[in-house]
Amino acid sequence: MASRNTAKKSLKLAPVLDLNEATALHERLLTLKGSPVEIDASAVERVGTLCAQVLMAGARSWEEDRLSFTFAKVSDAFVKTTQLIGVDIAPLMAKEI
Amino acid sequence: MKKRVLTVDDSRTIRNMLLVTLNNAGFETIQAEDGVEGLEVLETANPDVIVTDINMPRLDGFGFIEGVRKNDRYRAVPILVLTTESDAEKKNRARQAGATGWIVKPFDPTKLIDAIERVTA
Amino acid sequence: MDMNEIKEIFFQECEEQLAELESGLLKLNDGDRDPETVNAVFRAVHSIKGGAGAFGLDDLVSFAHVFETTLDCVRSNRLEPNQDVLKVMLKSADVLADLTNAARDGGSVDEARSRQLIKELEALANGELPQAAAAEPVAKSTPTAAPVPAVNEEGFQPVAFSFDDFEASEPPAIVPSTFEILFRPKSELYAKGNDATLLLRDLSRLGEMSIHCDMDELPALGSMNPEAAYFAWKISLKTDKGEEAIRSVFEFAEWDCELDVTLAGGDHAGAGEELPMQPVPFDLSLLDEEVPASTGAAEDDEQLAAQQREARDNAVSAAATASNVLQMAQTARASAESTKCVAPASAAQAAAQQAASAATPTIRVDLDRVDRLINLVGELVINQAMLSQSVIENDTNGTSSINMGLEELQQLTREIQDSVMAIRAQPVKPVFQRMSRIVREIADMTGKSVRLVTEGENTEVDKTVIDKLAGPLTHMIRNAVDHGLETPEKRVAAGKNPEGTVRLTAKHRSGRIVIELADDGAGINREKVRQKAIDNDLIAADANLSDEEIDNLIFHAGFSTADKISDISGRGVGMDVVKRSIQALGGRINISSKPGQGSVFTMSLPLTLAVLDGMVVTVANQTLVVPLTAIVETLQPEASAIHSFGASQRLISIRNSFCPLVDVGRILNFRAVQANPVEGVALLVESEGGGQRALMVDAIQGQRQVVIKSLEANYTHVPGIAAATILGDGRVALILDVDAIVAASRGQSLKPEMSLAAAG
Repeated sequence: MASRNTAKKSLKLAPVLDLNEATALHERLLTLKGSPVEIDASAVERVGTLCAQVLMAGARSWEEDRLSFTFAKVSDAFVKTTQLIGVDIAPLMAKEI
Repeated sequence: MKKRVLTVDDSRTIRNMLLVTLNNAGFETIQAEDGVEGLEVLETANPDVIVTDINMPRLDGFGFIEGVRKNDRYRAVPILVLTTESDAEKKNRARQAGATGWIVKPFDPTKLIDAIERVTA
Repeated sequence: MDMNEIKEIFFQECEEQLAELESGLLKLNDGDRDPETVNAVFRAVHSIKGGAGAFGLDDLVSFAHVFETTLDCVRSNRLEPNQDVLKVMLKSADVLADLTNAARDGGSVDEARSRQLIKELEALANGELPQAAAAEPVAKSTPTAAPVPAVNEEGFQPVAFSFDDFEASEPPAIVPSTFEILFRPKSELYAKGNDATLLLRDLSRLGEMSIHCDMDELPALGSMNPEAAYFAWKISLKTDKGEEAIRSVFEFAEWDCELDVTLAGGDHAGAGEELPMQPVPFDLSLLDEEVPASTGAAEDDEQLAAQQREARDNAVSAAATASNVLQMAQTARASAESTKCVAPASAAQAAAQQAASAATPTIRVDLDRVDRLINLVGELVINQAMLSQSVIENDTNGTSSINMGLEELQQLTREIQDSVMAIRAQPVKPVFQRMSRIVREIADMTGKSVRLVTEGENTEVDKTVIDKLAGPLTHMIRNAVDHGLETPEKRVAAGKNPEGTVRLTAKHRSGRIVIELADDGAGINREKVRQKAIDNDLIAADANLSDEEIDNLIFHAGFSTADKISDISGRGVGMDVVKRSIQALGGRINISSKPGQGSVFTMSLPLTLAVLDGMVVTVANQTLVVPLTAIVETLQPEASAIHSFGASQRLISIRNSFCPLVDVGRILNFRAVQANPVEGVALLVESEGGGQRALMVDAIQGQRQVVIKSLEANYTHVPGIAAATILGDGRVALILDVDAIVAASRGQSLKPEMSLAAAG
């Protein structure tokens, strides 16, 4: 697949991932389809469930496409909130190659 | 960073109580006197949470909530309704209009702050 | 701002709401069916109840609650606000006002009356309307406010907070047990500004929590609706707080999610075994506080920009900054300590509030401060007059720049005075509103049906005048209903509307306020009045009096035309007292009456009690001030114009009409013999009855504005003299009570008035 060789794209998440951000995030992810993506969650202060859903749907989608979908940098709030709502992001953490 | 609370109530007494309570609890408080003014100041207030009365002149609480929910930028802001009525009918109407939660008046400051904490991150 | 200040605000607000309530009810009574009028009335009571609840004012709360319930029936068209209904409501408004006053000032209310009204209100809310009673559970029950425990003076009232399903007090401490919770949010939950994240956060605070997120519903990225709910959770929670505490976390979300809470029983058991449960860290407090510095700054910038755009924000943030120094009492119990800390910030808070509610650019000032200012300005006026006088006396050139400067000073002083007076000017509305209650009460007592119509309520007059207006006005209104209006039966017999009308109007006229009280009753029974006056030796049996003069007899002491003294306006207090109080205010009162059509009382009052434009005159070597408003014109009598008749009566002919000549010096007993009119000056004055009199004085010194110094306050009442003043040269001058002088001159036959002259 040609897309496999596409350069890795990165996506920086907004500080507040609320209802309004869910649609925006959804659209941005859709435009990145077909490329491996690395997500920067270092600025995140608040994680709403809707955005978590979008991110997890993205992770599945990318997995189906066999492209990498990883979290590069994560804020403490991001880690703790995902942990709170039972969303395990550990498998998606970027690993040093 | 302080959480910003927009309060909408036509009673000067309640406005002052809210102001004292919220300021004491470390919130930044912006106040409007009715639904119309509430919608007007929404932009500048940029609130993290809204506390509104139901019975108000010009635009009541139901109309105000609907107005906020239609505002692209602020539709996600949690809204708590101050109401003297504890009956389900009023609560239901407020909920249908898009209220997040409610506080039954006469409010106890602890419960007010508690309710705000519950709906804000 | 502390609780006492807020309480004060509450009572101020109550007054406004009560006025709103009354005027709304009166509008409804007049047939207004605008829903907004009903809403405003409802809101007024609702608002009073809300505030009263916060201060634990039980009596007020419970009465307001019943009232509100009945008003709600009107609001929802379940109760037609007909006259009978409004009668009860207007009375209820009166009781509400009484309860508010009692709550503010202590004192008691007529409990029997309020109990009776509660019954009537409740009856209205359920009895009369069968279908309404069936449809309305609130109306069926006996509405009583939640009982409120006593509270300390400035504390908030921690009462009646009822999360419905949480109403029972805190559940007793339970041994830790494990609950299995299934939580499946609906999309509405998110649309209403709630978030499963927050609910789970609160849930995790209850104890030890493990969680499994069910993502089975989550569709592919391309086909998902980013604002729909897909996640669901299975939670295992070990807590000692009980199921109630768990459910209360979901209180706001109840309708917008599926929730199932079951006791797992005993220790760690659980159907959760087959699912991978993720333990949730116990302490999630970081979630609330944590703010990455960089983004915080970014938002501050944004905030700063907003502040520059809008002054409002400045004020708000000023308040916020000021309140930084405050104790951040998380519980926000406005305890004594924390309220003390609030004090320094109150200015900023006030500013913020002002800014936020930019609607009314007004300030509230202590009346004392205004009064002090007015006194000082009064002294300034006197001082300026004295300065002018001494300059004129010492400067014979008369054209120096000093004179010009003095003129400017005089003008400025005048303007300052006017502006200061304007501060104290207030609409007569509150007094007028009080009168509608008086009318209701009196109508009730006399069994008459009365409608009060008010006009010109916004006419402004000095507050001191307003304060003193209520007494006489109350008496006159009572009189008008009790004596003026006929009973409904008599009215019908006379072909009139059984409901009588009392019309109260206020307007400004030539620098005075004129208040008119008109009734459409029977008018004055002149024959009866005349006979009574004769019986009481007020007039001679053969006295020849005009209709106007007969009508004015009712202002004489000890005069009452009612056949028997009634409860209402009897008790020996008559219109003479009213007249005297009006005169004490520098006012005039007169009556005109048409048999069968009613009477009109007209009061004319000065706009302020502090200053007066006067003509300074000399009478028998005394300096007197005649209020300019009373003077129509001045003239130099010629011998040919003076005509004598009777023993001591003289007339002056002015442009082909005759006018009685009044010798002021004689009436005030300044001299023993009559003065020669040709040697003096005549001041043509309008008397309260509308007729003219020529007041004879020796000479006119000039016109000036004088500061009124009450004679009663500093000395004692002197008949014929309204007040005193201090002139530019420092001398005290007496201000003439023109009406009293005219009245004294009128009646050789009016004995009580004659004593004025004797006493003077």
